[in-house]
Amino acid sequence: MAVKSISKRRSAVQSVVLPLIFGAALITAWQTGLLHILLNTDEYVLPYPTRIITIISENTDKIMVNVWASVQVAVLGLLLGSLLGYLIAIFAATFPKFGSGGLTIVSAFNAIPIVALAPVIINWTKDVSSEAEVRSTFAKIIVVTVVSMASMSVNAYRGLTELPVFSDDLMKTYAAGRLTEFTKLRLPNSVPYIFTALRVSVPGSVISALVSEYFAEYVIGVGRQIRENILIAQYSTAWAYIVTACIVGIVMYAILMVIEALVMKKRK
Amino acid sequence: MKVIKKIIGSKLFITLVWIAVIIVIWEVLAFRVAEVKRTPENVLPHLTGVVDSLTSSKTINGSQTALEMVLENAGATLSRAALGYVIGIASGFVLALLMSLSGIIEKIAFPYLMLIQLIPILGMAPIINAITGDIAISRIVIAAILTFYPVAANTLAGFKAVRREAHELMYSYAANKFQLYTKTMIPACIPYFFTGLKISAPMAITASILVDTLQGGIGLGCLLSQSLKGAMTRYVFWDIVFFSAVIGILSFYLMGVLEILLCPYKRLEKKGR
Amino acid sequence: MRFSKKTMAAMLAAAMIVSAVSACGSSSGSTGTTAAAATSAAATTAAATAGSSDSGAAMSDSDRIIAAAQAGKVGNWGLGNEYEIFALLTKYGQENKFLSQAFDMDGFDDDSITLASAMTYNELGLVKNSYEGGYGYGDTVDIIDMNNEGVAMLEDNLFTTKAFAEANPNTVKAFVSASMKGWKYACENPEEAAQIVFEAGSSVSSDHQAYMASEVKKLCETDTNGNKVTDYGKMDENAMQQTLDLAKQYIKLDDSTAAEKLKSLTLDDIRSTAYWTDASVGKFDAPEKKDVSIQLKWLPQAQFMGYFVAKAKGYYDEVGLNVTIVSGGGDIGETTAVNNGTVDFGVTWVSNLISANAGGMDLLEIAQVYQRSGLVLVYKK
Repeated sequence: MAVKSISKRRSAVQSVVLPLIFGAALITAWQTGLLHILLNTDEYVLPYPTRIITIISENTDKIMVNVWASVQVAVLGLLLGSLLGYLIAIFAATFPKFGSGGLTIVSAFNAIPIVALAPVIINWTKDVSSEAEVRSTFAKIIVVTVVSMASMSVNAYRGLTELPVFSDDLMKTYAAGRLTEFTKLRLPNSVPYIFTALRVSVPGSVISALVSEYFAEYVIGVGRQIRENILIAQYSTAWAYIVTACIVGIVMYAILMVIEALVMKKRK
Repeated sequence: MKVIKKIIGSKLFITLVWIAVIIVIWEVLAFRVAEVKRTPENVLPHLTGVVDSLTSSKTINGSQTALEMVLENAGATLSRAALGYVIGIASGFVLALLMSLSGIIEKIAFPYLMLIQLIPILGMAPIINAITGDIAISRIVIAAILTFYPVAANTLAGFKAVRREAHELMYSYAANKFQLYTKTMIPACIPYFFTGLKISAPMAITASILVDTLQGGIGLGCLLSQSLKGAMTRYVFWDIVFFSAVIGILSFYLMGVLEILLCPYKRLEKKGR
Repeated sequence: MRFSKKTMAAMLAAAMIVSAVSACGSSSGSTGTTAAAATSAAATTAAATAGSSDSGAAMSDSDRIIAAAQAGKVGNWGLGNEYEIFALLTKYGQENKFLSQAFDMDGFDDDSITLASAMTYNELGLVKNSYEGGYGYGDTVDIIDMNNEGVAMLEDNLFTTKAFAEANPNTVKAFVSASMKGWKYACENPEEAAQIVFEAGSSVSSDHQAYMASEVKKLCETDTNGNKVTDYGKMDENAMQQTLDLAKQYIKLDDSTAAEKLKSLTLDDIRSTAYWTDASVGKFDAPEKKDVSIQLKWLPQAQFMGYFVAKAKGYYDEVGLNVTIVSGGGDIGETTAVNNGTVDFGVTWVSNLISANAGGMDLLEIAQVYQRSGLVLVYKK
């Protein structure tokens, strides 16, 4: 028992320390120019970490404005899309005959490339508000909504319908109504599937928020900054925003992990 | 047999009903848009207009009609997608295998596997282009990067799921590691592997359309962005939107069919029903 | 009970469908206002012009710029195309802000942008003309010209890297010589040039291509002051200096190292007239590198007709070059592509070359094809 817990603890420590060592090695190779030799590139396209950090620290205020704009879009779109996706899944589970066909349609949205989707949606939402900032934000949120809807609806549908063996029959022997069956059996059963969906759609929401900014009328956001700077050949600044985008993604993912851990713990 | 046919038939029917509903809504709105915009095709064209643009024999550039153009460019994009997909699958599978074989590799690689899907890879495209020195190779590499995560993650989940029971059983047979993997682990994780394949097939296609837009040349994404930038009729844009949606769905089903063809367990499952 | 739940689910579904198409819904709702605007613009042209003529008399260009800037309705594509707009806004004491304009003119059409950026040879033609893709505004629109406002920055040029130019001087001279011969022919025969570009694979409609060629000709043959230019590709010292000065003022770089470098740039850091001078008198030997490529700034269209003509007419073959023309318009910009050696030459705007050199590239302009700014702000009269 004691041996086991020690080995478990060691394993936990390892899973933190080993990636950190790898990361440190990578950054060292990057800073010393070894990475440039390996990848056959120059310090212009791949600036040194110190330069990137300098730019981030010199422009913190501006970067935070852009981060806030992107995070807003990603989070609101994610929430709205997941909610809609879940409602579609409920609908599909309630009317399996019509629902599964509807699910196919929803997942078809996933097959439309976001570079095509974003300009279309921005065109469709032109008249939401006379304020460019408002209608741009709205359009970007809708893009993220559509993207995160599909993964949630497909996964939640599985969670609502793939029930443990006999549980359905058990509910019937208790003479439970459909509402009881839904709240006591289907809903809890779908919770892990919700998190499966979110693990896909959280990174997806960040990326699609960044891409939707490319096309938006109101010029703001981390994605827009990456693109502007690359097109005017400011790679160091572009890198500063790429690193920022990664951090945003990681933080959002970490928050999801914490929420998942809390929820799953409670369920046990 | 009859029952299966009936189910397929009815599901198809329902999907068709859904499509019909969407078409009706689309057309109603298209009529509204046509009334009030000078260039309605930029916002919401009539579906008949989209179909017309595909069947019309009018040439868009010097020599090709819209349909010929879309098909030729689709050929280029889809072949790049297929190549990137295969590379992504292979590297995803190998990485999952390595991670399953060695705890150390798993611990090192796992956080970075997560990280890859958090990187705005499109923003890094010029950097990848600078490294590979060739736009065609960059496009394939980016498509591979974008598709490899679902395969790796799902395959790894498969290995983990079967590890315990399989281990115990095979140890009792005194099997070595090679036998353990070839006889049980790999076959057992195939369903998970296919789940990854199904998720990433449409992704490979959207990814290669996306990377087409990085630079000119031949490809659906190039056409799409040219049409969007007014270099040709806007209907080409709509043609590609519909075309890519259809191809994306087909690719998903293609993987399902492949699974049934290649894997005995699926056929058994079908018969069992 | 069971029934009501079913209806509830159905209602939820209905809500979902509604929200899924809410985008379309809102656009249809909105159409009420734009409908009125569009019909009044199209049908009652007479009334519109009458209205504009009395308000137009009162409204000068400066009033117009200030009004649009205050309302936040000045449009530009951004991505390095915005500096002349900034200079103009500053001239009239306005904040340097613009709305990101899509690559069509829908925003101008529906009045979300009242002063829209347009290139004389491209978007302006679409706004005015009524061929396919056009909006057919005809003479109901007017323009504010950057050249007349004194904020012109030079656009389409020809460039390579300093290293390439030093290693392959004869290739560069031969390429400039043949390209400028192509430009000369194209400007003398714009209609034929448009046809050549179309046949080379451009998908821009023949009508618009012909319009574009005729407008591009004007940019190649007139300088910022409206004087005629006869030397194709000449680098006008004053116009170049004005471009550099405006660039220093309006290109804002977050990277402090790059920002400092920008301030210290001189004309000699961004261009060399030597290659063009030798090329124009045919003073060069056999090219060092024979297979070369050029990346355009945008999609293949008459904007770049000189290169297509030089290729089609065999001018490149005459000087011993085998040229590949690479289309632009993607996220891998022409400056990046030339800098990393995936292509040898590029067409870019002078301001983009300046910011690239500030960022650490070592690019060199070798010819200036457009002698004046092609950027205008278009408005409804």
